[in-house]
Amino acid sequence: MIDVKNVTKRFGEGQAAVTALGDVSLTIPEGSFFTLLGPSGCGKTTLLRLIAGFELPTEGEIALDGESIGHLAPNNRPVNTVFQNYALFPHMSVARNVGFGLEMLKRPKAEIDSTINEMLDLVQLGEFATRRVDQLSGGQQQRVALARALAPRPKVLLLDEPLSALDLKLRKGMQSELKRLQHETGITFVFVTHDQGEALAMSDQIAVMSAGAIRQVGTPEEIYTAPQSRFVADFIGDTNIVNATLLGFDGDAAKIKFGEGTPLTVHAASTSLSPGPVHVALRPETIHVVDERAETALLRGEVVDSTYFGAGSQMLVRLEDGVSVHVQVSTPRPVGSRVGLECDTSMLHVLED
Amino acid sequence: MGAAAHIARPDAATRLRAAQEVRARQRRRTRLFLLAPALGIIGIFGLFPLSIALVYSFLEPGTYGGVEWVFSYDAYVQFLFERDIFDDTLSFNSAYLQIFGRSFGLAITTMIGTLILGFPVAYFIAARPPEQRNFWLFAITLPFWTNLLIRTYSMLLIVRDEGFVNLMLMKLGLISEPLEMLYTDGAVLAGLVYSYLPFMILPIYASLEKFDFSLLEAGHDLYATRTQVFRHIIIPITRPGIVAGCVLVLIPALGAYITPELLGGGKKLMIGNLIALQFGSGRNWPFGAAAALILMAVVLIALLVSLRAGASKEGGHG
Repeated sequence: MIDVKNVTKRFGEGQAAVTALGDVSLTIPEGSFFTLLGPSGCGKTTLLRLIAGFELPTEGEIALDGESIGHLAPNNRPVNTVFQNYALFPHMSVARNVGFGLEMLKRPKAEIDSTINEMLDLVQLGEFATRRVDQLSGGQQQRVALARALAPRPKVLLLDEPLSALDLKLRKGMQSELKRLQHETGITFVFVTHDQGEALAMSDQIAVMSAGAIRQVGTPEEIYTAPQSRFVADFIGDTNIVNATLLGFDGDAAKIKFGEGTPLTVHAASTSLSPGPVHVALRPETIHVVDERAETALLRGEVVDSTYFGAGSQMLVRLEDGVSVHVQVSTPRPVGSRVGLECDTSMLHVLED
Repeated sequence: MGAAAHIARPDAATRLRAAQEVRARQRRRTRLFLLAPALGIIGIFGLFPLSIALVYSFLEPGTYGGVEWVFSYDAYVQFLFERDIFDDTLSFNSAYLQIFGRSFGLAITTMIGTLILGFPVAYFIAARPPEQRNFWLFAITLPFWTNLLIRTYSMLLIVRDEGFVNLMLMKLGLISEPLEMLYTDGAVLAGLVYSYLPFMILPIYASLEKFDFSLLEAGHDLYATRTQVFRHIIIPITRPGIVAGCVLVLIPALGAYITPELLGGGKKLMIGNLIALQFGSGRNWPFGAAAALILMAVVLIALLVSLRAGASKEGGHG
């Protein structure tokens, strides 16, 4: 288990100092596949580097299984990293790359050799042991990097956008491969990515970050279906964010209305919001298109665009207040026609700003 | 129509073959034109004089310099043995071997000195942001703007008895008598290290410039200490640059002439001075030529052996 307590990281000094992480606290459960998700510059890689020991925190503490490790050098932490560019040693064979960690730990030769074989089998590169790393393809290098980082059996494996250099098909394959490796080894994986699809597909838990802070931590399902803030809703999937008026709360549920429509009872990220204009998240796949005059229609607008994507079409509907909404349909309405939008109110979600 | 197509086909194939031949000829001609100037220069100013030296080394010395066109391998014998003036008996003489030994000693020490001084400098430059590197490289090449002779003379002014170093030390009261630094091996060594340092820095820099510094983090991450990262990652990856730097320093240092002449005062001979002497006041051209060729042979063998060793070491990893 990793405990990040009130960690702040500033680069530079005085006036020129840039805060990469501001007072971040986070608990990463043991044996989980944990993802740090956010746009570039949000501080996710900095957090990873702090756990690895490449950077020291400006303030705060990092503990691994209850022991403080924030001050230790990288070579004194039972934590290994898979680098974004793999950082394989070009002058060594695949086998020596994989065995390097154990060699530095001065393990007996027999143990190193058997671990190398075991790891290469694990990543299905058994017959490549004697190759030079520059003779391998990108996907194979990726596997060597994984085997090298797993060979010393670290308590935590850190992965810094390891799939970003691979093409789409290879990436899909590696996603399930990583999931399998995590499952088989039981090692805690901390995975950094800016790709929300990757995060949703692989993670046990996701921490969504932006501007050096953690916005929300939860399972992929929680993050997807119950985003707390406008940022998270916006970052995960093609969420529509529409305007509504908050009338008040009924216990945990919020009472809202769209325009001059009838009041609705929906979920809310927080009960501390004050009545007035709010934003509501609306997933494209939860919306149904109905006739404009249908009584069940919650929102009304005009179709301004329609894109065919194979499994269906995506329509862009401009609402009366000018906000555009994406809707997924099997048979699109013609551009220019007026439609009503209907939605299961239990899928609506009032956001914090 | 059918007949016309039949005729056209072999015609097209023939034309294609002819075009292929023209291309191949053009390629050969281009290669020749590109190589010709270099080959010409190497031939005229390299191989031709070398052949002259080879021929001269097997002739007898003329009384006032030059050569007598009489075959003799005396020059090579003279290198190891001394011929008695009266009865022509040969006795072993290590004087010239000692000069060779001294030269190798000094050249190897120079190489090690430039490596120890040069590696950190090259590393420092390679670790700068790219826009700053050119400035540092410019600073390294700055000495080349001034003639080596001038630079060596200025070193002479610094290390001589009334020179800057002695004056400062005496002013500070650390010494009462000037230290004798000029005309010592130390002065020659300092001069050689100073002269050849850029030749060590630049190739090492070239190999470090492409160095992926994230490999250092990867090494630390995999439990290597700073020393282990240096030994197992930095050194092996920059080995080609280190080898190139060592060759570029060792070989010219072996044949150095100006530095030992000025800073060694001609008292401490190096091979370069010995050879020059034979063509000058020594008036023994065959012996000078033989000494030069022996030096070349030794360097060539040493180079081949070290390259072979480097190659097999490299192969061991893969």
